[in-house]
Formats: sequence, structure tokens, C-alpha cells
Amino acid sequence: MTESPKPSRTHGEPARGTFWGIGRQQWRDFWTGSRAIAPLMPGSIVFGLAFGALIVEAGLPAWLAPYASSTVTAGASQIAIVEALRQNAPLLIAVATALVINARLALYSASLAPVFAAFPRRWKLALAYLMTDQSAAVSVLEAPRWPDPVRRRWFILGVSGPFVGVWIAGTAAGALLGPVIPEAWQIGFIVPLMFIAVMVPALRTWPSVAAAGVAIAVVLLLKDLPYGLNVLSGALLGIALGAFVPDKATPEGRSAGEES
Amino acid sequence: MMTAFIVFTLAAIGTYLIRLSGIALLGDGKQLSPRVRKALTLVAPAAMAAIIANSLFLDQGAWRDFGAWHLAALVAVGVALWKRSMGWTLVAGATAFALLLVAGL
Repeated sequence: MTESPKPSRTHGEPARGTFWGIGRQQWRDFWTGSRAIAPLMPGSIVFGLAFGALIVEAGLPAWLAPYASSTVTAGASQIAIVEALRQNAPLLIAVATALVINARLALYSASLAPVFAAFPRRWKLALAYLMTDQSAAVSVLEAPRWPDPVRRRWFILGVSGPFVGVWIAGTAAGALLGPVIPEAWQIGFIVPLMFIAVMVPALRTWPSVAAAGVAIAVVLLLKDLPYGLNVLSGALLGIALGAFVPDKATPEGRSAGEES
Repeated sequence: MMTAFIVFTLAAIGTYLIRLSGIALLGDGKQLSPRVRKALTLVAPAAMAAIIANSLFLDQGAWRDFGAWHLAALVAVGVALWKRSMGWTLVAGATAFALLLVAGL
């Protein structure tokens, strides 16, 4: 843990123009952060609606949807948990599947370590909780434009906080609307569709294409394994075998994955 | 219900520790080894592809009958590769699926 510099508590504009004890400059930086991530919010809301509806469709109580979204706060793993529970997977397998999917967050955490280095510990703890695929990407990209650690952390709070907020709200709305959606609509299609929408546009390197291909093949070959273990095996083998494929950008990719 | 609550809670604790890992362990100078970094970049495509395959081609562990699901997914993949955009992929996939359902597939 890096010690935060002493003067980091002083605000740009001290007592004047504060709201809830937070300076005007801080609110402005927060707002700039929220605007930077706003284009990605509709996707988060739709994903939230789908997850909420899925919880109800799976026969689970509606309150579990906002509970999961405000504690786990990672949609892909939450859906994987619902799918595992549907197949009566043992508790530990459901948790392990979710954690394997969320292992990617360790990568964002590593990229954000230098960005957060000068923040006080409680800010690091709070911003880690608010970390999502989308907010981590925006934060890492924009951080160089915010050399002042105080202004930077308010900017990143603006990027991360409201994004998680709309995700939780979308989930709660989905859980309320879920029972109204007719079965004939086959809302379950949203699961593969969501992941196609997130994954396919990001397939830009040969190792990632190989990892996805291996994962699909393993899931289908091992389809008779119980408890959704085929999903866990597919993900792990996809990662392991994909790692052997040399990094070379696909024709459409601009750079190899390691540089991003 | 209780199982679901416990699973979500344990996953939440584990996921928070993952989120904290790099921030807490890596300081200014320290970096992830290239091998670990590469493996972590492959988690998202591998895990998402696994979920896509399981939810699209299988239904409760048995093969899903060929129909609207497969065709709409094909449209979505095509648009995703063409537009490289999450929004367009969702709109195209959902529209195709709705039209196929209306057409009785």
C-alpha cells in the first residue's frame, strides 16, 4: 500500500461554494467523469433489466436481483451464478464459476494501481468496490489528463459511481417487470445476445479468438457434465490453451492485446 | 433461495478481493508478469464464449432445437463483426429474434 501525500485533503476551492461539504470543483470533476461514461450507460441499464428479469424467471425472489447487483456488481458472473443454480450446482461450483469469470478484474486492478497510487486508503477501498469493465477502461484511458490526485479521484468516482448506480436501478426495474414479460418472448435469449454484444466486438487478437473457440468446443463436448461444470472447464481450458497462441493482431486489430 | 443468497454473498466477497488485488499488491514500480497479464486478458473472451455456447446451443444440458435462437445469434455475430459496436449488436440481435418469433420459428 502506498502512503498518500499529506496535502491531498485540501480542496481546490476551500469553504466557499460547497455542497454537502464537497467543493464545487470536486462536483465539476465528478460530473465530467459521469459524462465521460454516459454513452455506455444505456447498455448497462439494458443488461440490468435482463438480469433482473432472469432472476424472477429462474424462480428466485425479486430482491435478490438488486442485492446481487449491489454486492457482486459484475453482470456476467451474476448470470453464470443463476445458470449454475438452475442446474442445481453445488454452492462451491457456482461460486468458483463466478470467480473464474471475474478473474479478469485482477487485470484492471493491476492497470489501476499506478492511477490510484496517490489516493488515501479509504478511496482505494471504495473505488475498488465500484470497479467495472467499463469504468476501469475509461479511468485508465483518461487518468493521464488528471495529474492532480484530488481532482483525479473525484473524476474517477464520477466515472464509476453513477455507472454502478444505473446498473443496480436497471436490475431492480427488471426484477419488477420480469413477471409481466410473457413466456412466449423467450427472454432467456438475452443471455447469449448480451455476451455476443460484449465479446465479439472485442475479439481483436488471435489468442482471444483461440480462447473463445476452445471454450465453445469444450462446453459442447462436455455438455453431459453435471452442475454447469462444462462452463467452468470451457473457460479454464480456453484461457490455458489461448495463452499458447502467439500474440499477433488480427487483420482488423490495431495492436496486440498486451499493449492495451 | 438461501443457497442463492449465500452464493451471491460469497461471490461478492471473492470478487471484491479480486478487484482490490492489483491496487493493494502492486505499487508504483511493480508490474504483472507478461504471462499472467496475457492469461488475464483471455479470461473475458473464454468465459463469455463458454456462457454463450452453453446458453445458445444447449437447453438444460440437451441440444437446443435449431431455430430462432441460432439464426438471431448469427445475425448478432455478423453485425458485431461488421460494426464492432455493442449497441448495434444488441439492437440487431433483438430485432432479428423478435421478427423470427413473430414469423413462427
